[in-house]
Amino acid sequence: MKLEVAGVGKDYLIPVIDSVSFAAEAGDFVCLLGPNGCGKTTLLRIVGGIEPATRGRVTLDGHAVIADQPQARKVGVVFQEDRLLPWMTLRDNVGLVLTPLGLAPAERAATADRYLKLAGLGGFEDYYPGRVSGGMRQRAAIARALAIEPDLLLMDEPFGALDAQNRRIMQTEVRRIWRQTGRTIVFVTHSIEEAVAIGTTLVMLSARPSRVRELIRNDGRVERAKLVDDLNTMIMEEVERQQGAGPGA
Amino acid sequence: MRLWLTRLHLPTLFVAAVIVAGWWLLSLRYGAYVLPSPAAVVVGLRDIVTSGEIWKHAGASLARIAVGFGAAVVAALLLGLIAFLSPLARGVVHDFLAVLNSTSVFVWIVISIIWFGLSNWAPIFTTFMITLPVVASNIVEGVASVDRRLLEMGDVYRLSGRRKFTAIVVPSTLPYLVAGMKVGFGLALKVSVVAEIFGVTSGIGYVMNYSREILATQMVFVWALVMIAVMTVTDKLLFDTVSRRLTRWRG
Repeated sequence: MKLEVAGVGKDYLIPVIDSVSFAAEAGDFVCLLGPNGCGKTTLLRIVGGIEPATRGRVTLDGHAVIADQPQARKVGVVFQEDRLLPWMTLRDNVGLVLTPLGLAPAERAATADRYLKLAGLGGFEDYYPGRVSGGMRQRAAIARALAIEPDLLLMDEPFGALDAQNRRIMQTEVRRIWRQTGRTIVFVTHSIEEAVAIGTTLVMLSARPSRVRELIRNDGRVERAKLVDDLNTMIMEEVERQQGAGPGA
Repeated sequence: MRLWLTRLHLPTLFVAAVIVAGWWLLSLRYGAYVLPSPAAVVVGLRDIVTSGEIWKHAGASLARIAVGFGAAVVAALLLGLIAFLSPLARGVVHDFLAVLNSTSVFVWIVISIIWFGLSNWAPIFTTFMITLPVVASNIVEGVASVDRRLLEMGDVYRLSGRRKFTAIVVPSTLPYLVAGMKVGFGLALKVSVVAEIFGVTSGIGYVMNYSREILATQMVFVWALVMIAVMTVTDKLLFDTVSRRLTRWRG
């Protein structure tokens, strides 16, 4: 599955995203980085076909992604919040998104159980979301996104609400799941350490209206500590530029 | 049974005993017509239970409520559905419910007598008009409060409109519906009994008014107790059980 983002821009009242282009090959783990308010989440929503772009186009294997229209490729999304239905068990939450795929109820339950287990939630299938921890809920949301066997998996700061310890556990888990399933992932984060730890391709966005400031292959050729330092310097420069420019510029 | 006993805790029982004692003393002073004694009320209650009159009149009142209130719930569900499908309609529905909400019971009683004469339909119509805005505004509020983020999740995973409705909208709205029905039912009982004063020959309202006319004041008290009992039983047994079952998933 090849993802191509070509000259994508978005204006609300002011231009938020100027023009962003990057590509991801099958099995890539892309991390989107950038200062707060530079439109990372918006970009992810455009890639997922949740929101229309003002300019440019997104294609998956050459098929255009158009907001609010049925897509030729399956896209799984993990939001900042878990967005589980509180009145359904974890199994039913995962099973629900399998209904459009035309599986029989027994198959749905079996698939849901398989992916919950993959996400480390074996034994919790019959729990309601309110009865498990925040980390487990987010893992269930990841299991849900994986269960549809998506061509592309989008994750929007999925660990933002977790404490440092759970965050590290989840990073390891996601990386393990990514290796096992070989999905193409686009992952939004504001943590440089997180991006360097898990991403294969790092896309650093500039201050608003954003462009791609730097595109880095994280293939181990550059030492991690140095990479983190460089990216930190870049992000500080962008934050300063954004503050200097003011909200209306 | 045990639960009920523990709920009727001692301080409440003590205050109740003081009130009954005060009531008894006052009844000695004012006589049976103005304030019948507690004993007379107990005897009256026993009489209507043994004669079966209690079931006849409570049943008649409940049957009218079932029709009027039941129709109000159905109409409220339809209004909720309309409000869900169109944000424009939601505003209109909301405004009309506000108008209905501020209309007095007496307006509907008088109008229903003009329209339906002295028949069963007068209390039924009054109950319908009074409970409709209560139940409907709860449902409309419930529909409006459905989490947009969950609906967006449904869009992302391409759930059908029907699936989104049954899996997301209905469960989000159910607690509001039950809360509306709980308040609405209490109101239905109070209102239909008032409407029964006119033109019908059965029901708690009718028999209370009749008791007053034949100067059997203790029976007015007896039927008031019956009303309280019906209200408490439906509230505790029906609505509390239903809302507990609906929110089983709460952690």
